[in-house]
Amino acid sequence: MSRLVKKSPSVCTDLPLNSSDVCNKLRLMKELLKSSYGPTARLKQVHNNIGGAVVTTSTSSVLLQAISCSHPIISLIKGSILNHVSRFSDCGLFASVFCLSLIEEAGRCGLRKDVMIRVYKHLLSLCTAHLQQEDCGCKVKLDFCSSRSLITLARSVIASKPTCVLSEPESAHISRLAVQAFLLTVPCNIPDKVRLGRTVTIPIEGHSVLESAVFSGLLLDTPENISLGSLCSPLRMVLFSASLAGDLSELGDGRIEVHQGVDTDSQILDQLLELGKQVLKDEVKLFVCQKVIHPVLQHYLRCNGVIVIERLGISLMEPLIQLTGAQPVATLHTTIPRAAYGEVHNVSVRQFGSKTKMHLHPAGKTTTCTMILCHRNETMLNELKLVCQKTEHVLRLTLREPCALLGGGCTETHLAAYIRYQSKNDVSESSPVLSCSQTEYLLAAEAFCRSLESVATSLEHDNGASLIDLTHAHHWTLPSDVTEEHLKDATALCGCGVVQSCQNRKWSYLNTEYAEFSPAPLLTAAPLQPTVLDSFTAKVNALEVAVETANLVLDVRYVIQDVN
Amino acid sequence: MPQSCRVINSRQHVGLQKLSALSGRIQSSVGPFKNYKFIQDESSGDSVLVCSCFRIIENLEPACTVGQLVYETVRAHHQQYRTGSGCLLFLAGAWSHAALDSLQRGISVQHIITAMSEGIDICLDACKKFSVSFKDLTVMEKCTAAPGGTKKASTNVSTEMANFHDKCLSKSGQRKVKLSRHFCETKSGMLSTVRHPDQPDMIVIAESLSHGCEKTMKLAVEAAQMLLKTNQQHISDPLFDISKMLTCLVSGLPEDCACVVEGCILLLSDEQAVVAHMVKQQPLKVALITGDLSQTYRHLGFKSLPGEQSVHEDLDLSASSKEDEWVDKVVKLLLNLEVKLILTAGLVSQKVIQHCCRHQILVVEKVNSSVLKTIGSSTGAIPVNYATQLTESCVGDGVNVEIWRDLSSYERKSLTAVNISTGRNSGLVTVVVTSCVHGKLQALEDQFWACAYRLHHALKDGALLPGAGGTEVLCVHQLQKQAEHNRVKDSKTGSAANLYRGLVLQLMADGLIDYITAVMVNTGRCSAASARTIVSKQLTEFHRDEISTGKFLQLVSQSKREDAGFSAVKPDETPTLNIYDNLSVKQEAWRKALDLVFLVLQTDAEIITGTGQKNEGNLMLL
Repeated sequence: MSRLVKKSPSVCTDLPLNSSDVCNKLRLMKELLKSSYGPTARLKQVHNNIGGAVVTTSTSSVLLQAISCSHPIISLIKGSILNHVSRFSDCGLFASVFCLSLIEEAGRCGLRKDVMIRVYKHLLSLCTAHLQQEDCGCKVKLDFCSSRSLITLARSVIASKPTCVLSEPESAHISRLAVQAFLLTVPCNIPDKVRLGRTVTIPIEGHSVLESAVFSGLLLDTPENISLGSLCSPLRMVLFSASLAGDLSELGDGRIEVHQGVDTDSQILDQLLELGKQVLKDEVKLFVCQKVIHPVLQHYLRCNGVIVIERLGISLMEPLIQLTGAQPVATLHTTIPRAAYGEVHNVSVRQFGSKTKMHLHPAGKTTTCTMILCHRNETMLNELKLVCQKTEHVLRLTLREPCALLGGGCTETHLAAYIRYQSKNDVSESSPVLSCSQTEYLLAAEAFCRSLESVATSLEHDNGASLIDLTHAHHWTLPSDVTEEHLKDATALCGCGVVQSCQNRKWSYLNTEYAEFSPAPLLTAAPLQPTVLDSFTAKVNALEVAVETANLVLDVRYVIQDVN
Repeated sequence: MPQSCRVINSRQHVGLQKLSALSGRIQSSVGPFKNYKFIQDESSGDSVLVCSCFRIIENLEPACTVGQLVYETVRAHHQQYRTGSGCLLFLAGAWSHAALDSLQRGISVQHIITAMSEGIDICLDACKKFSVSFKDLTVMEKCTAAPGGTKKASTNVSTEMANFHDKCLSKSGQRKVKLSRHFCETKSGMLSTVRHPDQPDMIVIAESLSHGCEKTMKLAVEAAQMLLKTNQQHISDPLFDISKMLTCLVSGLPEDCACVVEGCILLLSDEQAVVAHMVKQQPLKVALITGDLSQTYRHLGFKSLPGEQSVHEDLDLSASSKEDEWVDKVVKLLLNLEVKLILTAGLVSQKVIQHCCRHQILVVEKVNSSVLKTIGSSTGAIPVNYATQLTESCVGDGVNVEIWRDLSSYERKSLTAVNISTGRNSGLVTVVVTSCVHGKLQALEDQFWACAYRLHHALKDGALLPGAGGTEVLCVHQLQKQAEHNRVKDSKTGSAANLYRGLVLQLMADGLIDYITAVMVNTGRCSAASARTIVSKQLTEFHRDEISTGKFLQLVSQSKREDAGFSAVKPDETPTLNIYDNLSVKQEAWRKALDLVFLVLQTDAEIITGTGQKNEGNLMLL
């Protein structure tokens, strides 16, 4: 007997941003992400409450993924930031803090939401236009003739994650390695279509960070007792993506009937050994399989002088294909075409502590390299691995646009000062276009600038004060415990390290009112040498994502939830 | 509501408090004098007897996030070093206390981290600077061996501890370096008589690293020397391959029966023992199996089909089962290959054992994979996964099985220990650990590995650290000196960076003093108060004299003993006992301890995912 359960009707909530519950959630999310921002961030321990593994991190991708909120507004923000992070790796926390600030400020200044949306949109276009300008004051051209600025860029990314617990020389070492790995993935001779190579990261726990290294070619796990006899180079190799375990896993859940006395296992094994024979006949010296290889086949091949590597894993397949030119064989039921074979120049064995790795040297030039990352502790190593992958991505983005933005909050304060100045100047032209009053326009612009500045302020976590200088509009921090006579040492350099403090410089606290001014460009003979740099491409996109997401959230009138 | 967030950072940093509390639980287990602890599982009523700090943490199974972080760190350290986990955990607690103190005084997290990083650099530098290389050790050894080496002893930490060590040590002092009764018993042939001039005696090193486990350390030395001898390693390189050392736990024998045996000692059940008696003392052919020895076994990664059905064309009731067929096949193969001994890493089905027994083939299951590897390489046997895989070329030759001891009389169920060796330099050495109390075996085994690894790492480092609290006192001195320096500099130039550094360094030094005191209190020889007095007395001495590096060593590392206690029996002899610590182990433990503190100190919130959470007051829902 079936029973009908009456469906309850969907719940419709009017103006979700007016509910205090939603506001509290947004505020909590902002606090959570804000406190995770920057090199002195506070870390978060992510875990489930049934005793699962604990992840300590301040990385937006991990934090946001852990946040699984029932409210659609939070999910909307989370989704769009995660999408940004998956495409650009960097500036996820910047985008989230900025976006949540914009929403909060919009609520605070009490204007109509549609006005806010229009003004935000207009100001965003002002920002992006300014950033694209050649003479933009917070942009530096990257000089590919020296690795210096690339290393600075890498170091800024690496130093922004305190979970790695790196000392000065350690973070310098890792930054150099990251740049080295990046350069190895750039092909030397340029064909019509440039294709970047891959960096494979191998974490090794329990060793000093300074033992991390980068190698050209690939390093694979080896079986315990490997003996490399006399091998003449180059070595022919074959790569299987099909399982050679000797089972019939490809059949799925299907049912098969066999006659009694028929041993399917031994028949498949015969097939496998047939394969082994062909491989031996074709003088293959290296036999690699993504999945499991039947021990009998392994034994047979080893006895005949073939190096066997099983359980390669899906992630190493693509780099290995690139390195060797092999085509993965997906079945064991046909003879292997000769074209499927690949080649390596040589193999050698490398030892990292207790781990033995086999180093595959490429036959020709390669853009595949391996980065061995060492750290003392699993938690710190996991974060270091994440950060290095992020750095690789950030460095790759520089090939698209060879410039970077000043870090340390200076870009934010600069943009805020620029927007303040511009909005004051174009208020009479812009407000009619945006169909709002001049006051409304100025109020909304102020909210936008405050939000930008609040991102810069978020870099400070020890109750220090954030300042802006009233000439170049760079960002400065003043520690909370500094005394009057130590003021000069404490604020010797601005956040990005370009501007030096001097006697007649005027400062203002961030989030207090100051007379608008046009940020003066730095006039120096030598090119700027900032100590902190941010990815240009990632930040520009993060700016757009933040504003557009905020606008979308402000635009939400009803939330309709199916409660069944 | 699946998401919640707990704020844990305020002036009263909950994470640091937890870390500090967790480390408090092992306070009575640091240093060489440990108390056994019972850990009881209230739900099941099971209890375990634990001794080392690692086992305490392992059995406590801390559920909180900080606890998990601690366990992860300690486990990683234990896997690599087998010693020093207590030091790691204690200092993590002591330094988190220092961090808490600093927070309460209003020092920012950033300042604490900078200052503590500087502090650990000072400590690690001091370790490097004051470490004693083997070359120096040889020189010192000669000095102490010379007559008239009596010097006025100063009451210091080291003496205090050294005195206690003497009590545990033996009653014979006729050797040039005082050794235990057990060391004297070792045949002189075992000792490396011809050794490199710059290479100190392994026994001397071992003794100074024994930290109250003289008997166990003696076993470790014996095992190490046996390994070196059987592997015919060059005598100038005393670094032994620790992976070829095995332990065999036997309960029911008194602890004194512990011994070192060349070869691989395995325990056999009754019916296997009968076979062993038949095949003993003759060269045997051996097969090595890495998987289970049963018909149903399939290698890892093999997925058997759930939907496979067998179609019978006619009913044949006489047909033997698949398993019987398989066993017959295997036994036939083994007989053909004349294999008399099978070692498997996995399990063996009862049927196979029975059949093999009938054909006088000895089957041993659950053999360590490193044993398989070593026996394989010395006999030419190739380990295979399935028994059916065996061919002539996989079978090794020349293995000897000897009945080592019949332990039946000690236990209700009969038990025979056999020694499997390859005659030629198989290179395996087994340490038989014995105890009348079954529950103590684990602790004794841990103790053995701690000793063996200490010796191994000392030989690897080629240097030692002044022990018995010596290094800690030196580091405290260095930290305090730097703290004082910062204070002076601060008052003169008034640099903001130094503002709190001195204070944090001082608090770090206090953490180290806490460690020394805890170790001294655990000896049971002094109260916490008197221990502190001794330490501070020595520190003031250091500060007053501003002693040079060389003199430091004299004071701390060569701890003279007063003619009290035991040596009063033989007043004419003044043997010197040096206590040393491992360099790399200590450095690594300290660094890991501080890493833990940093991670916890910087954490301000927990994000708890998943459903069904307990209702706690300080949770915020997202």
